[in-house]
Amino acid sequence: MNTYLFRKVTPLVALLGLGLTACQPDIEDDFRADKGSADFSRYIAVGNSLTAGFSDGGLYLEGQQNSYPSILAQQFSLAGGGEFNQPLFTEAQSNGSGYLRLTGFTAAGTPTTANVTTNLAVRSATPLLYTRYDGRVDNLGVPGIRLSDIQTPGYGSTQGNPYFERITSTSTPTQSYFQRVKAEAATATFFSNWLGNNDVLGYATAGGAANIITNVDTFRLKNNRIINVLTASGAKGVVATIPDVTNVPFFTTVGPTFRATLAAASVPGIVVQTGSAFGGPTSTNRKQVATTDIRDASGSGRQLFTLLSSPFLGLLNQRTGRAWRYVYAQSGQPAAGFSLFLTAYGIDTTATFGTSAGNPIPSLFVLDDVEQGLVRTATTSFNSSIVAKANEKGLAVFDANAFFSRVATSGIVTNGVNNTAAFIAGNLFSLDGVHPTPRGYAVVANEMIRAINAKYSAKVPTVNANDYRGVRFPQ
Amino acid sequence: MNLKSLLLAGGALLSGSAAWAGGYQVTLAGIKNNGMGGVGVGLSLDQAAMFYNPGALAMVKERGVQIGANLTLARNAFVAEGGNQQRQLRNTVTTPFSLYAGFGPSEGKFRAGIAVYTPFGSKLQYADGWEGRTSLTDIDLKSIFVQPTVSYAITDQLSVGAGLVVLAYGAVNLQRDVPLPDSYGHIELDGKAETKMGFNAGIFFKPSDKLSVGINYRSKIDAQVKDGDVTFSGIPASFSSRFQATRFSATLPLVATTSIGIGIMPNEKLTIGLDANLAQWSKYRVLRFDFDQQINGSTSSESKRFYQDALTFRLGGQYKLTEGLTVRAGGVYDETPVKDGYVTPETPDNDRLSGTLGASYAFGKFSVDLSGQFVSIKKRTETQADLLNNGTTDRIAGTYKTNIVIPGIGLNYAF
Repeated sequence: MNTYLFRKVTPLVALLGLGLTACQPDIEDDFRADKGSADFSRYIAVGNSLTAGFSDGGLYLEGQQNSYPSILAQQFSLAGGGEFNQPLFTEAQSNGSGYLRLTGFTAAGTPTTANVTTNLAVRSATPLLYTRYDGRVDNLGVPGIRLSDIQTPGYGSTQGNPYFERITSTSTPTQSYFQRVKAEAATATFFSNWLGNNDVLGYATAGGAANIITNVDTFRLKNNRIINVLTASGAKGVVATIPDVTNVPFFTTVGPTFRATLAAASVPGIVVQTGSAFGGPTSTNRKQVATTDIRDASGSGRQLFTLLSSPFLGLLNQRTGRAWRYVYAQSGQPAAGFSLFLTAYGIDTTATFGTSAGNPIPSLFVLDDVEQGLVRTATTSFNSSIVAKANEKGLAVFDANAFFSRVATSGIVTNGVNNTAAFIAGNLFSLDGVHPTPRGYAVVANEMIRAINAKYSAKVPTVNANDYRGVRFPQ
Repeated sequence: MNLKSLLLAGGALLSGSAAWAGGYQVTLAGIKNNGMGGVGVGLSLDQAAMFYNPGALAMVKERGVQIGANLTLARNAFVAEGGNQQRQLRNTVTTPFSLYAGFGPSEGKFRAGIAVYTPFGSKLQYADGWEGRTSLTDIDLKSIFVQPTVSYAITDQLSVGAGLVVLAYGAVNLQRDVPLPDSYGHIELDGKAETKMGFNAGIFFKPSDKLSVGINYRSKIDAQVKDGDVTFSGIPASFSSRFQATRFSATLPLVATTSIGIGIMPNEKLTIGLDANLAQWSKYRVLRFDFDQQINGSTSSESKRFYQDALTFRLGGQYKLTEGLTVRAGGVYDETPVKDGYVTPETPDNDRLSGTLGASYAFGKFSVDLSGQFVSIKKRTETQADLLNNGTTDRIAGTYKTNIVIPGIGLNYAF
């Protein structure tokens, strides 16, 4: 009886085991990575701070490791991509240039930040220089570079851009960015190019008070040149357009709160300074702004206040020159020149701040409607140059402008998690209000992958953006 | 029909048919029925008629006690939209069971009985760190129903029956990860359902030795959890003020089912059953949780389900090979109640095809039933575009595929 049962039951158990093994479904084959008509064996990334992985107002190791080119290269490696080298800071100098960290919130809910000043990679304070990186570099992102700078000889010298200097060979100190890209492009099979943001961003973040917008023709010429050199040896690639910078938290965070404060105190309007031209209280650089003309969260009103204005707007109506001392300090001029500076702009620091023409809110803190118009016009024409050239060369285009406009309007959900363009709470923008967080860079990388896949019939997998952090909170 | 041809028929059905019904409904109430694709509404096989059609109970010849237990072994694969990494469940086993005891005078027209069974349940544990972690990491849904039943044969051909269905035990445990800016916390909802009642009624008509028909209706019961426990873990101090809730309440509809069944007995050895069920899943519109205190600024959460009514078709048969041995086979086609763009990780559902096999061996008054079912839930893809269109971005876009193997064993004692 026992052996009878055993003989009957054993095959059943075996069958059950077989059934279970066969039971596990396998759908992985449906999602195999594929390079399509692209070749990712050597990928190089050309661009500025966004390409370098700049975040929280600085370039540091974690940001570099989470740069979109680094994420792209990691995903390309699933579809035949090769080694990808970034000019990483060392662990010992992992804080690189230094950056902003969140320290907490005031009782009113305003975030407070501090500079990280330890473990920096600064090898000289004047001129500011960072620890050199002499190995092979595939991520050529240089924070601060404008398209108009790419053919400037000596841009990578000790008198030039310190981020370019640290990767420029000491044997060719005057090599321009263009020449460097040309040398690297000779062996590249795939590239990304996202240059041009700084040609308009610098002007915008300075509230129109400094940094001119690059001439449209110059922009087109330089863009054509760099794309020509990148595609000269047959490489395929992806290019990105320039987002409308007025959608980033740097411009959208402070205004709504300020407007609400003014409305609550029944202040009908304020006085701001605009542009950078000299002139006193009766000159055209003074501008009356009605409280209702400050842009709020719903988009009503036009005038934008920058993140840098945040510590000073609470001084409204006080007789103080604190904001002006800050603005003057930013110029890097000797302290002795401060009174001349005040005279040139007709500033009376004993007048009430922000409510009198004698002591307006500095131009540096306000991107007004006229300045926004210039920014928008430039962005539009820059983008048409970028898209036209990309189409001519058959390149994939990531329309960052359209994408970030959508994010500003309706946010983006990543695998069930909501992300928006809001400061800190939105997950996508870092503490400088302009550069993405690792989450933001992952989202950018995914969008680029979609553009690449569509253009080259490739199947490069995207990443789970939620595996990348938003803003780091104090522990 | 010999054994070989029956097994071949069964093999053919395997690529086709049935065990769990759509959503979180489990139709595993009788081991004999399990082997025949879950048919039973138009049959009077055994005490499990209390579940399938109380009207048929009075036509069951023997009185007896039977217990049955199943192992459901669900295996799932998931790939997120745009990704290429397959996620698999941390494998678990659930054990739907049943117990029936039927009494009554041997020649009388009355039969009474008590049934205990588990018609709704689900247990899934997703891979650590999977892409949908903020929708769900773990679900464990259990229910035990107790059903005192009476059945009365009005004539030799017609009988009716009804049972009081008591949701005697219901438990829900739901867990998911909470997205924070730079980390994840975890929330666990754990609660017991209130005792609720419904009914199960049926009519059974057997115009000849070769034909029987049945109709059955099981009412809806709303499983209601009040004062369930909310437990947070891994929430850093800087966010803890945003996660205050300690209690939750929620309602899950255990939906009404209407079934019709036909039994065909061409000879004394062969029985063929054919069932169709309609489950009124359209009652399941939203899954809402109410909390005693706020979670991230809100004291409730609502997630769209928008299920639709779904039909299930079952076909099965048994053949009495020898006096002791009976073999069975069957198949099921089970429509999903979940519409495109509404799939959630709790029920990664789609239309199902199942194949079943079974056998019984009788030793006098004792008999043993075995059943085996293979359920193939069709591959299902939902895109982020679907989710955006439906306003259901609280779940995840990707492709799911699930198979379930369910061996079962039953013991009967007739008196």
